[in-house]
Amino acid sequence: MRPATLARWIVLAVIVLIVFVPMYWILVTSFKTGRQILLSQHIYVPWPFTIDNYIYLFQESRFALWIRNSAITATASTLLSLVIGTAGAYSLTRLSFPGRRTFGGVVLITYLVPPGLMFIPLYRTFIQMGYTDSLGTLILAYPTFLVPFVTWLLMGFFRSIPRELEEAALVDGATRIQAMVRVVLPLAAPGLLAAGLFCFTLSWNEFLYALIFIADDSLKTLPVGLSEFVVSDFAFWGQLMAAAALASLPVIVVYIYLHKYMVQGLTAGAVKG
Amino acid sequence: MNALTDRHRERLLGYALLAPVAIFLAGLVAYPFLSAIYLSLTEKIVGYPAHFVGLKNYSALLESGRFRIVAWNSAAFTVGSIVVKLVVGMAMALALHHVVRGNQFIRGILLLPWVIPTVVIALTWKWLMDLFRGLINVALIDVGVVRSGVHWLGDPTLAMVSVIMANVWRGFPFFGVSFLAAMQTVPQELYDAAAVDGAGGWHKFWQITLPSIKGVVAVVTLLSTIVTLNDFNIVYIMTRGGPGAATHIFATYSYELGIMSQRWGLAMAASLASLPLVALLIVAVVRYLHREED
Repeated sequence: MRPATLARWIVLAVIVLIVFVPMYWILVTSFKTGRQILLSQHIYVPWPFTIDNYIYLFQESRFALWIRNSAITATASTLLSLVIGTAGAYSLTRLSFPGRRTFGGVVLITYLVPPGLMFIPLYRTFIQMGYTDSLGTLILAYPTFLVPFVTWLLMGFFRSIPRELEEAALVDGATRIQAMVRVVLPLAAPGLLAAGLFCFTLSWNEFLYALIFIADDSLKTLPVGLSEFVVSDFAFWGQLMAAAALASLPVIVVYIYLHKYMVQGLTAGAVKG
Repeated sequence: MNALTDRHRERLLGYALLAPVAIFLAGLVAYPFLSAIYLSLTEKIVGYPAHFVGLKNYSALLESGRFRIVAWNSAAFTVGSIVVKLVVGMAMALALHHVVRGNQFIRGILLLPWVIPTVVIALTWKWLMDLFRGLINVALIDVGVVRSGVHWLGDPTLAMVSVIMANVWRGFPFFGVSFLAAMQTVPQELYDAAAVDGAGGWHKFWQITLPSIKGVVAVVTLLSTIVTLNDFNIVYIMTRGGPGAATHIFATYSYELGIMSQRWGLAMAASLASLPLVALLIVAVVRYLHREED
């Protein structure tokens, strides 16, 4: 083996290890007993091996409720953003009207404004509207970053669909809307699915807005629930890491499907870190 | 005549389909944003209506020692994170570039930190760095590097290093995968020609690879800078800005002013403090992306 190749494999092995260790630590901790954690026994492998932490989550914590709240919020805000964003992206790529380019720029700029800058202004607006402390608040808040994202992502997909197909439908007597629904949207289906799964992931993982806008304990989402996870037992890390593993599971499943689109999206500059 | 009505219809449909996006962004992005600018110029005391105070909140921020620490921390957190992400991401891309078998699979595994919830990452790193039971300290003691646990989150400098480490862990795969995708579009002929001229690996990297992917490097760096400068989750969960104010950054500080102390004018000013820089970065990204489109 050439020295350069060897060096490359060493670098790669180190990086894989760096990525792997924290994930391993989540899983290992989640299968340990409270006693093992408290006394730092069997640090590297859980022994004895227990699934009590997972059982605890469902029997004695609000974990199931957090999942429910996260699932409702993520699904509703995803659907809302998809509908609004698809219409917007179609309009911006397929129809010509004055101000189109400017608005395309506005969408991109809004997409780039970070939540860390927007959360206090947005919170004030929801207070003015008298609409905080409801899952509906989050379902309205998440599209502030999801709609620009969907619009931007789908503009790329729509551009890649040949105009001729749509024009053929128009010549055959279809209206513009019919052409959009029957010709363009089916062809853009993979893009719509990818955009939807992306939105779901972003909403499922969202923490800042959910932390600020929701005070009612029964309406907390999964990330906020995790961040406030307190149990009487001092060594609560076992339960917390079990919760962390389960909270990551849906997005990992989505990701396995989405992987190739993600890489495509990355190169198109459509996805931000 | 007919053509004209067609064009009018197209315009009308264009505006109609765009209307939901426009209304949404106007109501929940533009309005909050503009009212934040206004509120940052007012002072509100409980029981009295808000009154206009001009730039008083901004000058109060600039004069406060705490805000200066926050600004300094935000810069350190951002620059530290970005530099390490660039280096590790580039190493990842170069290491993976020539791997043919298993490339997709390894890439898939390496992107996982970017997918799982940031809250999970922050909690996991907090636990990894636990003084007595965290894996890092236990392993360091086992190997014999240190004799007693390192106060990762208790020491001001190490706390900053810790939040940067967690942020890098989450962010470098995005850098690596983006760089790799860009590298794979560089024509092989360029390398072959350089090889004929006797260029070595280093030389090829600096003369061919880097110049060819510099657009992607710029966009990724800019995007990540915008997000990192306004990060909240990792710092809030790992240190709450502590110890003292050692890891307090813009977003955790405006959280403290707005949500904890309800000082809205100051909180708005603090939220908007990084805006000039963010605006510049956004303009730069937009220009880069448009250039690539053309």
